[in-house]
Amino acid sequence: MKNEESRWLEVLKIALPLCLSYIPIGLACGILLNVAGFNVILTGLVSILVFSGGAQFLLASMLTANAPVHTILIMLFFLELRYALLGSSISQYLRNTSKKFLYIFAVSLNDENYAVNYLKFATDKNWTPKDALMVEHYSLLFWACANIIGSLIGNLLSVDLAIVDYALTALFLYMIVMQVVNKLTIVVSFVAAIFAIISMVLLKSTMGLVISTLLASFVGFALEDYLVKRDKKRGFLLKKIKPKASRRVVSKSGDN
Amino acid sequence: MMTAKTMEHLILVILSMLVAFGPRFIPLRIFSTRDIPKWFNEWMKYVPVSLFTALVVKDVFINTGEGYVFTGIHNMAKIIASLIVIAVAYRSRSMGLSVILGLVAVTILAMFLPV
Repeated sequence: MKNEESRWLEVLKIALPLCLSYIPIGLACGILLNVAGFNVILTGLVSILVFSGGAQFLLASMLTANAPVHTILIMLFFLELRYALLGSSISQYLRNTSKKFLYIFAVSLNDENYAVNYLKFATDKNWTPKDALMVEHYSLLFWACANIIGSLIGNLLSVDLAIVDYALTALFLYMIVMQVVNKLTIVVSFVAAIFAIISMVLLKSTMGLVISTLLASFVGFALEDYLVKRDKKRGFLLKKIKPKASRRVVSKSGDN
Repeated sequence: MMTAKTMEHLILVILSMLVAFGPRFIPLRIFSTRDIPKWFNEWMKYVPVSLFTALVVKDVFINTGEGYVFTGIHNMAKIIASLIVIAVAYRSRSMGLSVILGLVAVTILAMFLPV
């Protein structure tokens, strides 16, 4: 029993840097959802059911822009499609778990808790799927609370929408930087930017985002395939970039 | 208390949950018993960076209020703030710090530059 007790504390210590970083973003997200017309209960509900910073920010900003429901859902689908990659890459560590466990695990899978769990699975032999699920639930708890508090504060404050809306852009910029592993990623990002401008100006709608995402990711896929086939793995574009500060948040929790 | 708008939002939340759940669960379910096909991984790898870039470009360079007009370097406050966010994210690798400093930067810059 004592062992059980110390385990949840140990896992909490590992999850804490991540949980704390959720507080400011969760607050901002709650404020934005409040501006978009979500009440406190809905904000709490969306934080638990969708549990994705990007998706919730997007919901808020598209609702305030009066985007139609099908456009919002298509955008969300593309935004959440990246979880397919995260899910499939962590699935190797979740063999021999039940279907029910996978279901519960998938509900609260998220970019950041994935990063913590993937690192722990890869480096710590004693890391179990149960621990991983605990990390997910800790981060979910902090995220939902921060959102609810943000929603309550949002009632009291008057906020400049154009400025708070920028939180979403800053979050995406952060995620772009985290995605950069080689110069090809930077090339793909610029290609995506050009496609995005052209397709949005031509289509005059957010469908341009969907089209440019499909085109740019295909260009990346094709370029990499071309370079690998030409055996340019160590060439200029595919050479790995080492960040100056290695994933500090994750590795700090990995030391425990 | 349950207004029509709240009902609409509740339906949207439930639909969003379904849309968010599919991509998380299906590959996890399939690949916990099977190996991942290589082409799938290679293709998926570039979806996030392309989508995030498109979303950033929409906020910084497109005026959606006036029929999706390309604004060039007009939104100087957001452009400079974005460069700051990139630098902070690259050096700190911290999500919280990047978002907060980005918000602070855009708030200050908006006082004397167009947002």
